[in-house]
Amino acid sequence: MKKLRVFSIIAVVSFCLLIFSGCSEESVPLKPTEKFFVNDFADVISDSDEQLIYSQGKSLQERTTAQVVAVTVDTVNGEEIAEYSLNLGREWGIGQKDKDNGILILLAVEDREVYISVGYGLEGAMPDSKTGRILDNYAIPYFSEDNFSGGLVAVYDAVVNEVLIENGIAPDEDYIPADELPTETEDSEAGHVVISWIILVVLVVIYVFIFKGRGIFFIGGPPFGGGFMGGSSAGRRGGSFGGGSFGGFSGGGGSFGGGGAGRGF
Amino acid sequence: MKKKTIILIAVIGVVAVLLFSLVGSYNGFVDKAEEVESARSTISTYLQRRADLIPNFVNTVKGYSDYEKETYTAVTEARAAVGKASSVAEQEQAEERLNGAISVWVNAVTEAYPELKANTQYLALQDELSGSENRIATARRDYNKVAKEYNVKIKRFPGNLLAGIFGFDAVDYFEADEGASSVPQVSFD
Repeated sequence: MKKLRVFSIIAVVSFCLLIFSGCSEESVPLKPTEKFFVNDFADVISDSDEQLIYSQGKSLQERTTAQVVAVTVDTVNGEEIAEYSLNLGREWGIGQKDKDNGILILLAVEDREVYISVGYGLEGAMPDSKTGRILDNYAIPYFSEDNFSGGLVAVYDAVVNEVLIENGIAPDEDYIPADELPTETEDSEAGHVVISWIILVVLVVIYVFIFKGRGIFFIGGPPFGGGFMGGSSAGRRGGSFGGGSFGGFSGGGGSFGGGGAGRGF
Repeated sequence: MKKKTIILIAVIGVVAVLLFSLVGSYNGFVDKAEEVESARSTISTYLQRRADLIPNFVNTVKGYSDYEKETYTAVTEARAAVGKASSVAEQEQAEERLNGAISVWVNAVTEAYPELKANTQYLALQDELSGSENRIATARRDYNKVAKEYNVKIKRFPGNLLAGIFGFDAVDYFEADEGASSVPQVSFD
């Protein structure tokens, strides 16, 4: 008698579970890392650049509540990158629920594709055309040379500044708003090259200065592991590396409607 | 006497519970139907947005000799058909045709005039256009999701009885849009 009762309870419970398990949502398997603003699943971002992006993302959220998240993956497994990016942004709930002010920068390294998804609330600040332009000007010059770390820092910086402008906050002094960029892409590319060379020269000089005592043979090798482009972008803004502990940040429940732009490179 | 009262109370209780669940599920149907309607109007908004981009596109490429007149004619025809469509199914079909015509035309223009790839305004329009495509595709997926929830709700027992009485009909889904995968892509090699 008692056994029968236990059995029937189990039967009822499992029946209920069966009913409620209903349809399961297709979900993106990736979960945000503890750094939330920067999730380097493809392992292409240098530690210092990761720190840089994290601290920028953190400061942006504190100032405007907007969330800008960078994600790198090896591949999107043959899916449309636009769709993958949208699903990831929705799944993680990037941006605040009532404002939908999230932006996701997704780089698929092996697919050689990059996509920026823009939440509903920031479509005014970052319309598709501007998003494409930012990619052309800040990301593609680096990505086409396989400098993923430097490109992400540059494009993240640009997106953060655009969001600041939208919120009526002055952007970084050296930031040129995407609306005011010169129309010829050639020019800015030339600019990047010149800046890179200047920084390279400065680095070499510093290198020589530091290692003067040990002979001059070492100059031939690259001064730092990351290559000079990565070094240059890190050099653009020093400071706030001290931090240490991460966490405390997660998606605010924002949603996306398919806005954004992408590029192959 | 006392027994009768108990029975009466029990009956009233049962009726009340039934009534509450009836009202509850009726309101549930109404809410879901409203969601389906709003999802549908989101799609229309984005379809309109895309249609509005076409004249801008024409203006940008006007300078390029005949900007592939043949393929462009298909676009204007498809666009006119969208305006004339009366039923929902007809409109969907017309939109599909327009979608295909735009893709063909844009690709033809880009192929014929590769120098356009260096034109900032042209690139901007192409981004807006593929952004519109993405939004439409997303809106359709979202629509399908709520449409499914709604359909399941009104088809499941016992909801189906109630849905039948109040005339809640199942809604159609958007079929997987083949055109969406042929979105014009801007690529720099």
